[in-house]
Amino acid sequence: MIEVEALTKRYGTTTAVDGLSFTARPGTVTGFLGPNGAGKSTTMRVIVGLERPTAGTATVGGMRYADLPAPLHAVGVMLDARSVHPGRTAVKHLLAHARTHGIGRARVDEVIAMTGLESVARRRAGTFSLGMGQRLGIATALLGDPETLILDEPVNGLDPDGVLWVRRLVRDLAAEGRTVLLSSHLMHELALCADRVVIIGRGRLLADATVQEIVDRSERAGTVRVRTASPEVLARALLALGADVAPQGPGVLHVRGTTVDEVGAAAGRCGATVLELSTEGGSLEEAYLQLTADSVEYHGRAGDQHHGRSTADVSAPIGGSR
Amino acid sequence: MTAPAALSARARGRDAAAVHRGPTFPRVVASEWTKVLSLRSTAWIAIVTVVVSWVVTYLSANASSGDPGFDPSASLPDGLALSQIGTLVLGVLVGTGEFRTGAFRTTFTAVPRRLSVLAARTVVVAVVGALVAALALVAAVLGVLPAARSRDIPLDLTADWTPQMLLGSALMLLGMAVLGLAIGSLLRRTVPAMTLALALVFVVPVALSLASELVAGPPTGPAPVETDVVELDPVSTAVALLPGDAAFRMTTDPEAGGVDGAPDLGPVGGGLVFGAWILLPLVAAGVRLRTRDVT
Repeated sequence: MIEVEALTKRYGTTTAVDGLSFTARPGTVTGFLGPNGAGKSTTMRVIVGLERPTAGTATVGGMRYADLPAPLHAVGVMLDARSVHPGRTAVKHLLAHARTHGIGRARVDEVIAMTGLESVARRRAGTFSLGMGQRLGIATALLGDPETLILDEPVNGLDPDGVLWVRRLVRDLAAEGRTVLLSSHLMHELALCADRVVIIGRGRLLADATVQEIVDRSERAGTVRVRTASPEVLARALLALGADVAPQGPGVLHVRGTTVDEVGAAAGRCGATVLELSTEGGSLEEAYLQLTADSVEYHGRAGDQHHGRSTADVSAPIGGSR
Repeated sequence: MTAPAALSARARGRDAAAVHRGPTFPRVVASEWTKVLSLRSTAWIAIVTVVVSWVVTYLSANASSGDPGFDPSASLPDGLALSQIGTLVLGVLVGTGEFRTGAFRTTFTAVPRRLSVLAARTVVVAVVGALVAALALVAAVLGVLPAARSRDIPLDLTADWTPQMLLGSALMLLGMAVLGLAIGSLLRRTVPAMTLALALVFVVPVALSLASELVAGPPTGPAPVETDVVELDPVSTAVALLPGDAAFRMTTDPEAGGVDGAPDLGPVGGGLVFGAWILLPLVAAGVRLRTRDVT
């Protein structure tokens, strides 16, 4: 169980995390989502005691991380794949960290096997690809067979096999009753393996809900898409029913505030030939983009044109980048 | 309700056992020991340090073996004076290594009590420094032997102040390793730490002496009359109090007296001043580690 309460972290005048509260519960995979610079990594570093909060608290299993009697057994941490000395072999790296808790060589070999690093275990970590580095980071996190796992961007740089493997691994760990907090800036990745998603932007909580709830919140959720030979006729008929109609290209209408059945029936009544009729599902991706539109730190020029200035006033006091 | 109850019972069991499963100081020392020995740089620096000790001592002893009053034991410190660069560099690299590479994140999440990591690292570097020093001493003795044999002069390591010189040299090499560690741990970046350490020990004393000579100009007029009361010269005093000279005083004859114009610290006094130079950055590194974020 990870509990973050009213957590604030400031660096000088920059506020990286701003009154953030959320809970990651045992038996679930909690996705931690936000654009780059949103404060995900800062929050994680505060949780594991590398940084002190300016205000608020972060506890693991009800305790401050620094007070944990045996941190490796309580929390498995992977903050950054570059948290390994490049001159040390994978085995020695794991062995050195195992020794802090009197963990034996057998467990080191076990996590090497679990993460599929057998063939490179005696190579120096500096020669590792990004993907192998991630696996070594995860192996380090698993050393103490911890109740809680905190993984920062674990699928970054993994090949499709590796992505699948991480997904299955975190699901299995949660199924064993462990708490898993997993950060990512890839929403579809979390949609596939997270039970709950905590979304932050500019250090503030934007959403804390199940994946489904967030998808349902998407503006497009429940929109009916219809392609017809006579769009004007159908649009008039639908407007008469009180639906919102938006033309989307030749012959295509997006209809909100009604159902597929009603659109079909309306088309039948007014004699418009229906060529296609479907419900648009909202996606986590879209919901995420809508939620974070105001809080993206680094807009491209296109991003600025879409939602730059109009929202800048709202988020201006939150501060700059980190 | 059985699942959460079972889980918390399991968690309680873990807590009770956890105290014995957590990071104790001997465990942290074992971890740091594994880390230091698993880096190639450690082995390379140790080898170079020992080889330099042998080569320089050998050449120096050979060069002076022609002198009528050749004393083989007097050549022993020649190589060791250069070897101290090796242990100093070793210490700096151990001190900065984890910060330079990001490995400190893994270390300090495994052992949140950061001071115990610094203490363990100090112990490990001191032990490694002592081992390298012992090997460098053996190498120095081996370096002197050919010259001594060629003149048929026996090498007596127990004569006069030779034992003190050997012990002092070992402490100097060991101390340089810990000084390097302290500066590296404080500054956390390799280039500034290396620059400061080498400057403090080797460059500043030479620069100060040169500068004072430039300011004073070449000696003119009659040579100063020898008196019992030596006037203290600020530059010489400063140089004598710098870590390099203070450490070197541990290796010299207690009767020899200090440099002209500087207070005579004596071997023990030199050791104490050198110790203070080590303690200062080490304590500062500890304070920084304990009170500031590590990112």
